[in-house]
Amino acid sequence: MIPVGITLQPDVVYLDLLDQVIRNDADYYEVAPETLWRQAPDGALLPNGFHRAFLDLAKEVRKPVVAHGVGLSVGTLSCADDDRQQMWLARIAADHRAFRFAWYTDHLGVSAPGGLAMTLPLPVAMTGESVARIRQSLANLQRIVPEVGVENSVFYYHLGDPLEEPDFLRRIVSGPGHHLLLDLHNVFTTAHNAGFDPHEYIDRLPLDAVIEIHLSGGSDSPGEWLASGRSLRLDSHDHGVPEAVWALFDKVWRRCPNLRGVTLERMEDTVTVPDVAVIRDELLRARAMVSR
Amino acid sequence: MTAGETVQRLLATALTAADPGAAIATAADDPRLSDDDRRMIAAIDRDGFRISAMLVARLRLERLLHGHPAVDDWLARDPERFTEVFRHYHASVLPEAFFPPEEARAFDAWLSATGTAIPSM
Repeated sequence: MIPVGITLQPDVVYLDLLDQVIRNDADYYEVAPETLWRQAPDGALLPNGFHRAFLDLAKEVRKPVVAHGVGLSVGTLSCADDDRQQMWLARIAADHRAFRFAWYTDHLGVSAPGGLAMTLPLPVAMTGESVARIRQSLANLQRIVPEVGVENSVFYYHLGDPLEEPDFLRRIVSGPGHHLLLDLHNVFTTAHNAGFDPHEYIDRLPLDAVIEIHLSGGSDSPGEWLASGRSLRLDSHDHGVPEAVWALFDKVWRRCPNLRGVTLERMEDTVTVPDVAVIRDELLRARAMVSR
Repeated sequence: MTAGETVQRLLATALTAADPGAAIATAADDPRLSDDDRRMIAAIDRDGFRISAMLVARLRLERLLHGHPAVDDWLARDPERFTEVFRHYHASVLPEAFFPPEEARAFDAWLSATGTAIPSM
């Protein structure tokens, strides 16, 4: 059976409220390694308190951990970011020695263009130069964790036709041990904002490369954010999984022959008492679907 | 710098500008770009670009608040004034800090350089 996991967030309220769900209803955990680091005064990256807490939890309940990075910036073209990336890779290696990640993914895009800390994954031009750079980044990661991959990120603007992205991803993940993390809310959100059919995007993907599926929710931007009054769908992970995403999941998971996990994502600071039952139900629903 | 690097740098700079929409229009006319890259940038959804710019600013604000308790307190006491100061900082200083302590140091250096003081309680 395909395991169903949940993200561990470095948030005391999240962890307290979801403690029993995390312990009893999830088959594995996903962590964002960078959120488990702190920076020493000399710039060194050290584990923070959640690093130890998550490691202890995983050992206690004997559940595997996968890593989903948020900031390696696999698409940075400039060498101005090389030193930072080397420092992060060294920290990731130390984390992997502790957690023994089953696989490691990061986001498609560039979050540190020219070494700038934009933090948000931003689109990269879908060129051969970008493909080569991202493949090299995956190869660098693969020296640490043998199974690696990229997630189809959510982008709120595009450099080119977003329906060409599946082929771009196909070129990126064609190497051995290189995988695709298919985030269905990202597909739903991008399709909604850019005005295309999410099924068309999914049909173009290399589904045999999918190692993991992400399920999550989001919300719409307030109309007053933009002078145009337009509202865009945000991948904010602050609400339950919408029915449209469940429908995509129902159609796609069977078409992913190498799928090894389905992860429910939820952002820190967004979980209240009534959400706990919803999140448990979402885990159970995902498991029931992949059990059929 | 390759053409791809130039595009990435131009877009990053536009995203942190005081008016990202105007900045992206200017970037689309940059003479260092090829015709194809100019067309690609000109076709960017301006609303999507502005939302991305807001999210980049929010992530930076969160980084600063995590690294600087006095700033967190300033935001709580006078959100309007603090927001004005933060906007000025964000548009003036490129984001080079990946972690809260670095961001706090960069903010303090900018406050000092601009003669701005964190209001005392």
